[in-house]
Amino acid sequence: MSGAIAVTGMTKRYKAVTAVDDLSFVVEPGVVTGFLGPNGAGKTTTLRVILGLVAPSAGRALIEGRRYAELAHPRRVVGAVLETGGFHSGRRGRDHLRILARSGGIAGSRVDEVLERVGLTESAHRRVGGYSLGMRQRLGLAGALLGDPGVLVLDEPANGLDPAGMAQLRDLLRGLAGEGRTVLVSSHVLSEVAQTVDRVVIVSGGALRYAGTLKELTGARGETLEAAFLRLTSNPTTTPRAGAATARTRG
Amino acid sequence: MNTLIYTEVLKLRTVRGPWLLLAAAALLVIAGISGAVNSTKDPIDQNLQAVALAHVGLGSVFTLVFGILAVAGEYRHRTITDTYLSTPSRSRVVAAKLVVYAVFGVFCGAVSTLVGLVVAAAWWSQKGASFAWGSAGMWATIGGGIVWNAAFAAIGVGVGALIRSLVGAITVALAWIVLVEGIVGQLVGALARWLPFNAGQALGVAAKPMMSQDLLPRWGGGVVLAVYTSVFAVVALTTSIRRDVS
Repeated sequence: MSGAIAVTGMTKRYKAVTAVDDLSFVVEPGVVTGFLGPNGAGKTTTLRVILGLVAPSAGRALIEGRRYAELAHPRRVVGAVLETGGFHSGRRGRDHLRILARSGGIAGSRVDEVLERVGLTESAHRRVGGYSLGMRQRLGLAGALLGDPGVLVLDEPANGLDPAGMAQLRDLLRGLAGEGRTVLVSSHVLSEVAQTVDRVVIVSGGALRYAGTLKELTGARGETLEAAFLRLTSNPTTTPRAGAATARTRG
Repeated sequence: MNTLIYTEVLKLRTVRGPWLLLAAAALLVIAGISGAVNSTKDPIDQNLQAVALAHVGLGSVFTLVFGILAVAGEYRHRTITDTYLSTPSRSRVVAAKLVVYAVFGVFCGAVSTLVGLVVAAAWWSQKGASFAWGSAGMWATIGGGIVWNAAFAAIGVGVGALIRSLVGAITVALAWIVLVEGIVGQLVGALARWLPFNAGQALGVAAKPMMSQDLLPRWGGGVVLAVYTSVFAVVALTTSIRRDVS
């Protein structure tokens, strides 16, 4: 088994709708991997199966050779930011991280370290209800980094960030990958992805369209990432109806 | 399990909800006792002491709602994702919540008792009656009321785990108490004694019931409530395990 994250034959059906269809790919350590696809392509469902929040109908997802639920200290192995995750608006940012540290078996001293790393130290004592979207993203990122994990799974982490925040995020992700960590990041901002990732996994209609290096994807025909993305995801086998239906089950 | 219990306690300590609950229960007791003392035609005696302190048990309506917040509130704020990422074994999370919320129910009942005793003693003194601190009937009512608070907190955890929509769960719980047990209960007659809120009343209300229905004896109410609590605890543990979180 190579790769820190290995998805094998993963299928997820919701009643009549197949959100993920026999999907297999591997995410390597040491590089940033972008996870791309149109809305309703099954990205979020796939990430949730990887993280043990959703049970697959078939197939499996392994992290360093184990299912998420089998990890003894999951927060020290995997850090995750999910689009659908949230915060109690009446709780202070720092307290949110204290709870994660306590539940994850992580030293409380890490809380201030990660707050510093995402640049949230000064707002840490405010209630999350008063945070901007960008500050919430930073708090989520801080939670993911808390356990110093070797694997990071980030769902749309660039949402709500201003240009400076985007640049910081890019540096952070590249730095984390440079330390040998596995970084899987979903996004729909292709221009941002093109500057950040080394490898891409593209899905559409729940099925794999491409997995490999960004360079090979765009270099073969001399395309931009956007052109390659549109070519791969507008394939006629991708029925719009299926895409719309998965979007409905998620929303 | 200790880690999970400490985590749940930390979650409660870092929000304002528990304080609101305690304040609401205290207000209920203050208003209820003051109303009971000033509207009664009965003598200000030991029997009325038990009736006054029965308001401790009625705080269980609040602990029920508070228990619902344990799981349904986490879905509402979408913190359930982080909770299950930390602890993929969901039944252990829910078990910790059942323990912590039941203990908090006891605490809430104890605070209500303290407030209730102070308020009642003040009224007794104001009315020139002597307050019998050793009244066995009053202490039995208080003890039953505290247990009722704890049981309804745990039942609330079960309701919230089952329904998961915060608004839906609270609506169902309150509608159950008011409509099903209050109105339909009068139609089914003696069978209504076996419903959870009425069992709680048997446990935590004085000899004279606040509603006009027949109640089980105190021990019977306790047993019935224990059965309901166990059933809802099992429901909470089993329904949380398999469901997708999205």
